[in-house]
Amino acid sequence: MEQEQKVLRLPAEQLYQEEIDALIQAETDPVPEGWKMSPRSVLTYIIGGRAGTKQITPKYIGHQRLVEIAIATLVTDRALLLIGEPGTAKSWLSEHLTAAINGDSTKVIQGTAGTTEEQIRYSWNYAMLIADGPSLQAMIKSPIYRAMETGTVARVEEISRCASEVQDAMISILSEKRISVPELGIELPAKKGFSVIATANTRDKGVNEMSAALKRRFNIVVLPSPESLESEMEIVRSRVSQLSASLDLNAQLPEQAVVEKVCTIFRELRGGVTLDGKQKLKTPGGVLSTAEAISLLANSMALAGSFGNGRITDYDLAAGLQGAVVKDEAKDGKAWEEYLENIMKKRGSKWLGLYKECKELNG
Amino acid sequence: MADGRKANIFGIRHLSPAGAYYVRDFFERVQPQLILIEGPSDFNEMLPSLTDMQVKPPVAIMAYTKEAPIRTVLYPFAEYSPEYQAALWAKEHGCECRFMDLPSGVVLALEERKEDFVREKETSVSEKEKTEREAASQKEMNFPKNAADQKEMDFQKEADDQKEADFQKETDERKEARDQEEVDPVSYIYDRLDQVCGEDTHETFWEHVLEQAADEEAYRKGVALFGENIRFLSQEKAKGSGTEERSDKNCLREAYMCYMIDQAASEIPMEKIAVVTGAYHVKGLTDGEAMKEKEIKKLPCVDAMITMMPYSYYRLSMRAGYGAGNCAPAYYELLWKSFCEKKPEMAAYEYLARIAKFLRNSGNPVSSASVIEAVRLSAALAQLHGYQIPALKDLRDGAVTCMGHGNFSQIALGVADTETGTKIGALPEGMSQTSVQTDFYQRLEELRLTKYKSVILQDLQLDLREKLNVKSKKAALIDLERSFFLHQIRILNIRFAKQESISQEKATWGELWHLQWTPEAEIQLVEAVLKGDTIRQAASFVLKEAAEGTEKIGQVAHIIEEAYCCGMPEAAEYGRRTLQQLAVDAASVQELSQAAESLSLSVSYGDIRHLDASFLIPVLEQLFLRACLILPESCACDEQGAKDVISGMERLNRLVRDQEFIDEERWLKVLNEIAKRDDLNTKLSGLAAAMLLERGRMDNLSLGMEVERRLSKGMPADLGAGWFEGLAMKNHYSLIARMSLWESLSGYLDSLDDQEFKRALVFLRRAFADFSSAEKNTIAENFGEIWQINPRQVSEIINDNLSEGEMELLADLADFDFEL
Repeated sequence: MEQEQKVLRLPAEQLYQEEIDALIQAETDPVPEGWKMSPRSVLTYIIGGRAGTKQITPKYIGHQRLVEIAIATLVTDRALLLIGEPGTAKSWLSEHLTAAINGDSTKVIQGTAGTTEEQIRYSWNYAMLIADGPSLQAMIKSPIYRAMETGTVARVEEISRCASEVQDAMISILSEKRISVPELGIELPAKKGFSVIATANTRDKGVNEMSAALKRRFNIVVLPSPESLESEMEIVRSRVSQLSASLDLNAQLPEQAVVEKVCTIFRELRGGVTLDGKQKLKTPGGVLSTAEAISLLANSMALAGSFGNGRITDYDLAAGLQGAVVKDEAKDGKAWEEYLENIMKKRGSKWLGLYKECKELNG
Repeated sequence: MADGRKANIFGIRHLSPAGAYYVRDFFERVQPQLILIEGPSDFNEMLPSLTDMQVKPPVAIMAYTKEAPIRTVLYPFAEYSPEYQAALWAKEHGCECRFMDLPSGVVLALEERKEDFVREKETSVSEKEKTEREAASQKEMNFPKNAADQKEMDFQKEADDQKEADFQKETDERKEARDQEEVDPVSYIYDRLDQVCGEDTHETFWEHVLEQAADEEAYRKGVALFGENIRFLSQEKAKGSGTEERSDKNCLREAYMCYMIDQAASEIPMEKIAVVTGAYHVKGLTDGEAMKEKEIKKLPCVDAMITMMPYSYYRLSMRAGYGAGNCAPAYYELLWKSFCEKKPEMAAYEYLARIAKFLRNSGNPVSSASVIEAVRLSAALAQLHGYQIPALKDLRDGAVTCMGHGNFSQIALGVADTETGTKIGALPEGMSQTSVQTDFYQRLEELRLTKYKSVILQDLQLDLREKLNVKSKKAALIDLERSFFLHQIRILNIRFAKQESISQEKATWGELWHLQWTPEAEIQLVEAVLKGDTIRQAASFVLKEAAEGTEKIGQVAHIIEEAYCCGMPEAAEYGRRTLQQLAVDAASVQELSQAAESLSLSVSYGDIRHLDASFLIPVLEQLFLRACLILPESCACDEQGAKDVISGMERLNRLVRDQEFIDEERWLKVLNEIAKRDDLNTKLSGLAAAMLLERGRMDNLSLGMEVERRLSKGMPADLGAGWFEGLAMKNHYSLIARMSLWESLSGYLDSLDDQEFKRALVFLRRAFADFSSAEKNTIAENFGEIWQINPRQVSEIINDNLSEGEMELLADLADFDFEL
């Protein structure tokens, strides 16, 4: 236990061990083969609720239906692909899904441009391979291989970053549901309960477009940015307070009004339309994800804590906003100016201070 | 009748396939002699038409008032309407059939009263009522459980402990919510139902629990219980919340229907009467008190016309008419068909297969494997909620995930086609007179245009100005009203009125129309009913559609103009919205300035039509701002592109001059920037300088410096001369008067070598092309003075015809590659 606490971040199933146990205890519905709990309990684990007397905290604040679709996909033994812009909790959701379904979220392949086919299937301990020739002992099983053996769910993070030949290796695994090892003359059929959750980024540089053949083997769920201003504010507020505690930011937590302003600006610029839906806007090139809003506020807190009086001022905010919105100078600067003039300026006195600071900075 | 009517009451929901199917089973079992259907009793005359074999649903029966303002009530029927099937069954089995609800005249009169009725009543809630409501919420909580107890009704297990717990938590919130709002009790109950079932919409609840009922008895009992609960809860809710008036109307209707049933029972034994009514009323018709004859006489009533008209699935899906519409008429038709073929699971397959087919036809490959996966996924989704058969929502989510790669937008068209469909009903010829027709004739009469409705072509001259020599305001503006009306007709594409162009001096206030009536116009008129119930509504709808469909800024500006012609500023608002949206994306100065100019015209000349155009000002400002922001970048272009930018700049310049609200400082700032920058098209920089000069924002000193800089040695000839060309596009006189300018030019010319001079010559010739002969003389004088030659000689040379030698020189120039 002593050791565990020094770890920067525990896997979900250990962090929420009690909740998972409580859900398994209170189980009333049929449990699919290879799962630890029923689909309905998995849903409760993700979106929060109650198991017996135990309160289950919500892990994913957002669209319940999407979570339902994700779970139903895994019930039908199809692979699941979570797609979304950066900062929409794809990996977060995939980790918690596997934690709830198998009590094990650690069978992960981190996709990178350097990921090889062996990491998807299996590779060898070359010392043993040379000494004794191919044998089961000399084989290093990939997380997917182990998941097939045990009938559990494997995760592939950032699948679109892998080279296309590596992605292709997934195709046959997902359609045949078996891996053959010609060196040993064996074939491993997947046990019931095996599935794959992959995540992919839609709006980033350095990604390889996925082939239609691979996409067809997944049920695709697109995770949207938070549905409403309120839910986004909720997410931002809770994450900022967690962050400031762990980073000792030495500043007051941002006020409700500040969070609201930042979320409003982010949502409007991201969606290309004002919150009341009346005016269309130019969207800047950047992603403006919820995660960015969180780091912007944390940043402003650091500014206020280190150089100011500990309260976030409009000046601190404006600096952060300028940096977040204007990434590609020429185009974004104009979009930002249009936003300032057409929207923010007309919002009245509450926004006036921020407007002036932003205008100043944007030049 | 407190012990309950013994009539056979079959509760339904309007537009319910299961209801339509089971109501026939019900009749087979009961073998009624008389069928009573919920629907205005004066619609009885329409029954033979409705069940006519040539009538193809969807159709609607519409009642409307004869006097303006026209009010309408609409009763749509689809093939899967239980009412329609009931009427058909009656016809097939020779059974008598009647409508039994309040006559439409009374319904319309009640509507009228409702509008007059001012909502206020802030009754303080007594302690007693509070406890009553507590009880109501208890009951509400139990409802799903009640349903679950009805095992024989194939109800799924509804409320598990989990949900119970949720309830407890929510009860507090609910109390708060209830204290604040004054919502319609029924929709409140439905909202609660959605929350309780964990669905976004009670449609899904309805579909799972009632549409998928196993047999006639399950359906009938389930609907009755559902209706009874909704009834009880909403009545409880209505108490003290100021919305009794709705249930008052329901009470009236029920009492009247009871009266009709009792009336019928005096001829035919109660057991042989079958009643088809909405779920809500089942209880009311069983236990309710019948209305007395003298009470019926007291009911308010207006004169109403009834007509039958074709209807469309599209309009059904918009939920016009009855509150209970149908979000997916074509899907429900699939359900109905699968009922008729006795294969209830077919609808799901066909729904997904149809979407796949649509996608394939539009060029998106969708494999059968994807369809199979979609079927499996939707079944799994239904099971997650404890149901066996997927409902529409499950199917749609399955389709999005498996066929649309997770994006609804990819399959949206296929879904719209499969769910809503394009079906339009049909009536045999000569069966209807619609509200639009009535409205049309009425307005013809009001505007004294009736005599123009003839097959002979006639001219009509209109003078839109207010006439000062007549008594009433109405008469003074009759021509304007006529113009509005005729423009509306024109927009609806009804071939009755055609506008002709008119001579210039009357253009702002005069209009000439050719009017001619054809049978074709009558058909077009009837078709207009699908766009709205009156001419004006229909025209507004057309403009709205047009505004939403366009992608060109110029077109939208045109739509706004049309809206003004029609006297419908509210329709101009649609255009304004689209314009605002397009302005964000519009890339070129050209487009932006054109749109801004036409809006500016509307703002300036809106008066003649007595309309307020000031709401266009914010958009105009936005267009201007956007144009200003992109203008400097657009100025970096070649000669060809410069033409467009020049006209754009001229327009913006005029706009700044004409409209006071435009931000002049910003415009000057932009001009300054363009004038100063070296990396833009020099002609445009010159023009910007000229505009500044014109406004007196550039003094002699800085002009001099600018000329020196632009026309210095080393500056390529075409750039320098191009700049001068731009500068010379405006303020000829003030330029001519500036001696220093000509000195600089002269010095510049001296500094050029032959080759450069030839090049510069081309631009300079073009620059001076717009100057008049007298102006050229003055310039010649200027140069004469500088070069110390007799001005007259120079003038002669400039204005003289070319000599032969010079012709040769020019011929050389013609070989010269001007494109360099």
